[in-house]
Amino acid sequence: MQLRMKQSNRILSTYTADVSGVCSALYEMGGMTVMHDASGCNSTYNTHDEPRWYNMPSMVYISGLTETEAILGDDEKLARDLVDGINGLHPRFCAVAGTPIPTMMGIDLSGIARLVERRTGTPCFGFKTTGMQSYVVGASMALEAVARRFCPETPKKVRSGKPSVNLLGVTPLDFSVTGTVEALRSLLTENGYPVCSCWAMGSSWEELMQAGNADVNLVVSSAGLTLAKFFREKYGTPYVVGIPMGEALTGEYLAEIDNAAETGENRYPVKGGKIPTNGKAALIIGEAVWAASMRRAYELSTGKPAKILCPLELDGETLAPEDLRITGEREIGAEMAKSDLVIADPIYEYVLPKGISFVRFPHEGYSGRIWRKEIPVFVGKDWDTWWETTNF
Amino acid sequence: MIKMAIYGKGGIGKSTTAANLSMAFAKMGLKVMQIGCDPKADSTINLHGGRPLTTVLDLVRQKGKAVTLEEMVTVGDGGVFCVEAGGPTPGMGCAGRGIIAALEMLEEKNAFAVYQPDVVLYDVLGDVVCGGFAMPIREGYAEKVFLITSGENMAIHAAANIAMAVENFADRGYASLGGIILNHRNVPRELEKVQELAEDVHTGIVGELPLSSLVQQADEMQQTVLQAFPDSEMAKEYEKLARQVLKACGKENL
Repeated sequence: MQLRMKQSNRILSTYTADVSGVCSALYEMGGMTVMHDASGCNSTYNTHDEPRWYNMPSMVYISGLTETEAILGDDEKLARDLVDGINGLHPRFCAVAGTPIPTMMGIDLSGIARLVERRTGTPCFGFKTTGMQSYVVGASMALEAVARRFCPETPKKVRSGKPSVNLLGVTPLDFSVTGTVEALRSLLTENGYPVCSCWAMGSSWEELMQAGNADVNLVVSSAGLTLAKFFREKYGTPYVVGIPMGEALTGEYLAEIDNAAETGENRYPVKGGKIPTNGKAALIIGEAVWAASMRRAYELSTGKPAKILCPLELDGETLAPEDLRITGEREIGAEMAKSDLVIADPIYEYVLPKGISFVRFPHEGYSGRIWRKEIPVFVGKDWDTWWETTNF
Repeated sequence: MIKMAIYGKGGIGKSTTAANLSMAFAKMGLKVMQIGCDPKADSTINLHGGRPLTTVLDLVRQKGKAVTLEEMVTVGDGGVFCVEAGGPTPGMGCAGRGIIAALEMLEEKNAFAVYQPDVVLYDVLGDVVCGGFAMPIREGYAEKVFLITSGENMAIHAAANIAMAVENFADRGYASLGGIILNHRNVPRELEKVQELAEDVHTGIVGELPLSSLVQQADEMQQTVLQAFPDSEMAKEYEKLARQVLKACGKENL
């Protein structure tokens, strides 16, 4: 008998979980981040989800939740451990993030965070992660929570020259550690756009706290959108969604930064490209802002349309109604079969129907470190260089 | 908006009092939402002429995240918005987790923003038996907790336990005690014993309900007292209690 199960995966993997998204977003901020889970579950994060683990210190821990604590609801043990950790390590803040077991137990991590904050005086966050959502959800809530708690009021400066920017939604899970973040900073500064801060790779705490001074926010992954909306609410800063992939798109992208600064309106240079209406076209699978940027760069390079399949929860305000939000292996396979080219993480190649072309683009938040060496620098003309190697 | 939770020993009259309070608030011109947090799902049944509601968890079971707010919230007597959290199949699953899932679903669908109730009343199963049943008193849910008790020792004991849980959670920014509602059963030294309880848990008696056969008669008719016997003395008692509860919440002018 052949089993035909819907929404189940035989070969495809799952995306990195929300709890790792929290840890990844907070990694460089000087806080103490604790995953509330059984001992051993931390290795999922430090072995598979965090490429900075071995060369950049950070206070990321696991609480070591036991069966007895789960049954008895011994919140006090967690609270005591957090207080001890804070008193010993003196972090800038403390964050505790939930996983499947605390979720099923109904632990109130926000309440525990408030209790620990009262006992220590150190700002504490309790994140309602479940381990059953993807990293974009966790990273998004962590970035926004830190900004909401700490970013000060800043007097608005009068701009002189090109608009200054923040990069929002930057974690290794979307950008890896292969040079793209540095290339993006260089691309902007070389074109005259000062980078105030990067949330959250490569920026000091002091730089992050100056985010209110930027003229425009650049949402470079869907994990950065909630933060951009918060900055819009707090500072009135407009945002631009997308990644400048390829020289042609970079030109449009930089013009939209100028536009956003001039008009105060949010801009979407990677939205509204050609959508295939009939016949076979390319299918781009992955995180929404990356995929929309890839579609626009692909269109500018080849003149052809593409459809996006986003298996993650957040859409970064970039997807078209015709784009797909599905997760099951069978359903994804069926969509691949309707395409002539698939651009996706190499894991998807294992379920690719015969006769369809495939462009490998490893995604750290999906296949981890397996194909990290293949991840190209994917901004500016480096994207063009990479695209040429695909021979499309 | 004022959000309150009613706790007390099983069988003490929480749902009957909650439904009558909801009707009394509605008669005052307030928009009311009553949320039953008990797997038995019978908190609002007398606001619907005895017809059971489809619970939030039943809807989630059938439709998953596609469930709509209109399916979860029904309008009962007096225009009271009624919700029943529901629960797992008896003897299976996790009822506490069920309460959490149901309340989170209401939050996800922006129930309060859409219906804009003036009063939200959580009617919660017997005792704070696990984290799930403490959910209605967490941050963002109820602000005040009212304990219903008679002078019976078991009821007083249960009320004391709940008061202790509320006190334990004070550091977490949870709801605070609004006071005790004394539902008379006419046992010896009833008022004295409940006054002692109030002193022990550092609160007061916000109101008293006399023992009345009209409550059982209305229940037989599958209605609230305010619906079945609107001009009765007992109906007036519930109306008085409603005013006292609002006063205890600091919202007498709501």
